[in-house]
Amino acid sequence: MSKRIIGMIVTICAATTVLWTIGLIVTIQDQFFYEASSIKQPKQTTGNTKKNDALSIVALGDSLTRGTGDETGKGYVGYVVDELKKQTNQHVQFTNLAIKGQRSAQLISQLKQKEVQRQLKEADIILMTIGGNDLFRGGEALRDLSTTQLEKEKEKFVQQLRTIFQLVRTVNNDAPVFYIALYNPFNDLDNGKETSAVVRSWNYAASEVAADYKSIICVPTYDLFELQVNDYLYTDKFHPNKEGYKRIGERVASLITLTKGEK
Amino acid sequence: MINLVYNEMLKIVRKKRLFIIAAIVAVLVSLFTYAQFKQIETIRERIGTTDWRTQLQQQIIDTQNRLNSTGISEEWKKFLKIRLQQQQYYLDNDINPMAPGAPTFMRMFIENSIELFLPLLVMVIAADLVSSEASGGTIKLLLTRPVKRWKVLMSKYIAMILSTSFIVFSVALLSYAISGIVFGYGGWNLPLLTGFSIQGEELNTTAVHLIPQWKYLLIEFGLAFFVSLVVGTLTFMLSVLIRSTAAVMGIMLAALISGAILSSMVSSWESAKYLFMVNLRLTSYISGMAPPIDGMTLSFSMTVLAIWALGALIVSFYVFTKRDVY
Amino acid sequence: MEETLVVQDVRKTIGKKEIIKGLSFSLKKGEVFGFLGPNGAGKTTTIRMLVGLIRPTSGTISICGYDLQKQFTKAIQHIGCIVENPELYPYLSGWENLEHFARMVPEITAHRIQEVVELVGLQNRIHDLVRTYSLGMRQRLGIAQALLGKPTVLILDEPTNGLDPVGIREMRQFIRSLAEKEQLSVLVSSHLLSEIQLMCDRVAIMSKGQIIRIDTVEHLLQEQARTYWSVDPVDKAKQILQNETTVLGEKDGALVTMYESNETIARCNARLIEAGIYVSGIERKLPTLEDLFIELTGGETID
Repeated sequence: MSKRIIGMIVTICAATTVLWTIGLIVTIQDQFFYEASSIKQPKQTTGNTKKNDALSIVALGDSLTRGTGDETGKGYVGYVVDELKKQTNQHVQFTNLAIKGQRSAQLISQLKQKEVQRQLKEADIILMTIGGNDLFRGGEALRDLSTTQLEKEKEKFVQQLRTIFQLVRTVNNDAPVFYIALYNPFNDLDNGKETSAVVRSWNYAASEVAADYKSIICVPTYDLFELQVNDYLYTDKFHPNKEGYKRIGERVASLITLTKGEK
Repeated sequence: MINLVYNEMLKIVRKKRLFIIAAIVAVLVSLFTYAQFKQIETIRERIGTTDWRTQLQQQIIDTQNRLNSTGISEEWKKFLKIRLQQQQYYLDNDINPMAPGAPTFMRMFIENSIELFLPLLVMVIAADLVSSEASGGTIKLLLTRPVKRWKVLMSKYIAMILSTSFIVFSVALLSYAISGIVFGYGGWNLPLLTGFSIQGEELNTTAVHLIPQWKYLLIEFGLAFFVSLVVGTLTFMLSVLIRSTAAVMGIMLAALISGAILSSMVSSWESAKYLFMVNLRLTSYISGMAPPIDGMTLSFSMTVLAIWALGALIVSFYVFTKRDVY
Repeated sequence: MEETLVVQDVRKTIGKKEIIKGLSFSLKKGEVFGFLGPNGAGKTTTIRMLVGLIRPTSGTISICGYDLQKQFTKAIQHIGCIVENPELYPYLSGWENLEHFARMVPEITAHRIQEVVELVGLQNRIHDLVRTYSLGMRQRLGIAQALLGKPTVLILDEPTNGLDPVGIREMRQFIRSLAEKEQLSVLVSSHLLSEIQLMCDRVAIMSKGQIIRIDTVEHLLQEQARTYWSVDPVDKAKQILQNETTVLGEKDGALVTMYESNETIARCNARLIEAGIYVSGIERKLPTLEDLFIELTGGETID
């Protein structure tokens, strides 16, 4: 009996040795002697456009949308989603495409990606923050305020924001876009007055751009952080903390009106 | 010679080593399957969709965010960048690299076990092939038969090769059978990309081509077999040189673990690439991961490993045939 | 008589130290040859050289006319051996162990395995795992594997080690019968003189890597065995004994004479009693190995 088992094992061993050796030969042939020809595109699996019943939310932008500074990791989008889940019995599908430190130019290139476009297309609601990094550059730029310099930057930003909105609208013409405007984290510093003026002017320019497009809503946050700004800021004195995000989230959620699946 | 190999296989089987190894593999595969299952579930919950494109896009975004965080090492950054480019490439070509299914699980499992787990299993068999005969005293009986010494050793080496392929086979079979219960048994023809090459921080995709998953698996298991053979041969040499099986295992264990550690920190010590331990992750070249040291390629790693194995083999045979047995 | 194993001027140097300093001896067909020596004398090294485990630095070993160095397989085919302990695979059965070794030698049939099993009397337990065997059974299994290939020379290192008295006697008879009936040359090493004395035809005594003497057992014993007379008064007894045999001296109040035949001892005893000497004991003592060594090497220490 034992002899038969051993015989069987030896046979398996021998057979698999042959198999693995073939594997090695295939490796050598495939990896070392592969003649570079253009990769034949696999057939596009359709079904991209399956518009399911779920309420699809796509968030774009920078660290604010990421939620940097909120110890729970939710960010304002998290609170918006929570709020929406309460309001609807629809399945909520949420995609956060925000990247920390992203500037408007980078967002443009992200928006050109196929998959990002596909997701935007399916979106029912689009949330977005952008411009903070263009303006503050991590909080250093404002120290040497040169009006002409900032004016130039603003022009550039407005241009790019236009491109962004344009891109979003070409992909998805219907979904409301909530563009969350800038606040001034340096409100209570010595030069608070000057910085506030700059932020206001950027916000104004942004809302002007938004007004040119259908259902792109520019959500102000400036006022939320105007008093006791430090109570709502994270220890880096730049990003909002949990409370700050909550306030933004509540404001955005209050603007969203659901048409389907309302409770 | 067939008789001699049969003898060696008989001893390996009767020591129940192969069964123990199969049992270990089964336990580990079950654990991994469960972990994988949980992971898929969490992702699904977090993103709220089962659409792989959305999931992959989310992974890309996550990676980008990690890249922008402060305090991550340069090596890790480079690794992430390359993975990012690769994920993007998969996405752009509309290929899901992680389509659920037992073959995908097999691929993941072998990619994760090629560096440490598989070599450890092979080591268990190879470590005592010769040393146990020496410490048990039976070597005296073996060598006083009318059989030349090199033949005795050769039969042991062949037995080592056979059991190595048995181990690789049991990893393949068990990971397929067990994970299939959860993920289903399909997915052999899933197209996958291979042929990435890494130049500095960039992913070169000129030689990238599609192969079906079964072929991909065949390649990866072939490489896993090759790595196991090399580790087996090195262990075999130590087994010839050292009487104590425990010492053999200890040395091999130290080498393998140091390899795993070194791979993650040697990018600045360039000549470390000639060590066998940092060359074990051959499957990374197939899937297009960044090598631990710049300039390492599949052919380079395979050559380094082959040279180590050949050296070990020569030493084993020389010592074994010349040595006085006390 | 035909010589089966011939050793000529074999030397072994390890590092700078010469362990074996030129051994020459030969075994004849059908004889049991004893290899005596204390631990460290070089017995085991010599035996390992005879079976090809250690390469001699110089000198030749030939078995049935084949040189062990140059025609290893042909030469070793004629040797069956147990070196030190009979170490077999504990996780295999006795039968499997024998099969295992049979596969390494051409043309050994299952019938032959059965034959050796019966020869060593292990029929009842042969299919049990060796792990469960007693030392004596392992020793017998060891001999069985040594006999498998029908050797002409059997080399046994300490074959009675660990056996009980009955086992020792059986082993002795078995070895003798192998030599007498099967005409094997048997080389037995031991550190016990009594064992060698009862088993062997000829003996080689080793010390410090050299053979001090090769001779028949009787010769050695006659030279070295002694008779102890516990008598009173000693002086008078000594005179009487001196007439009959040689008195070698006194030890612990007893007179020491040569090893004598039974008749001589009886005659001497009668003389002593006639002379009114009180004889409390007559004892014939075989020399211990130690005694023999001290005698042969002139008191040099064993190291």
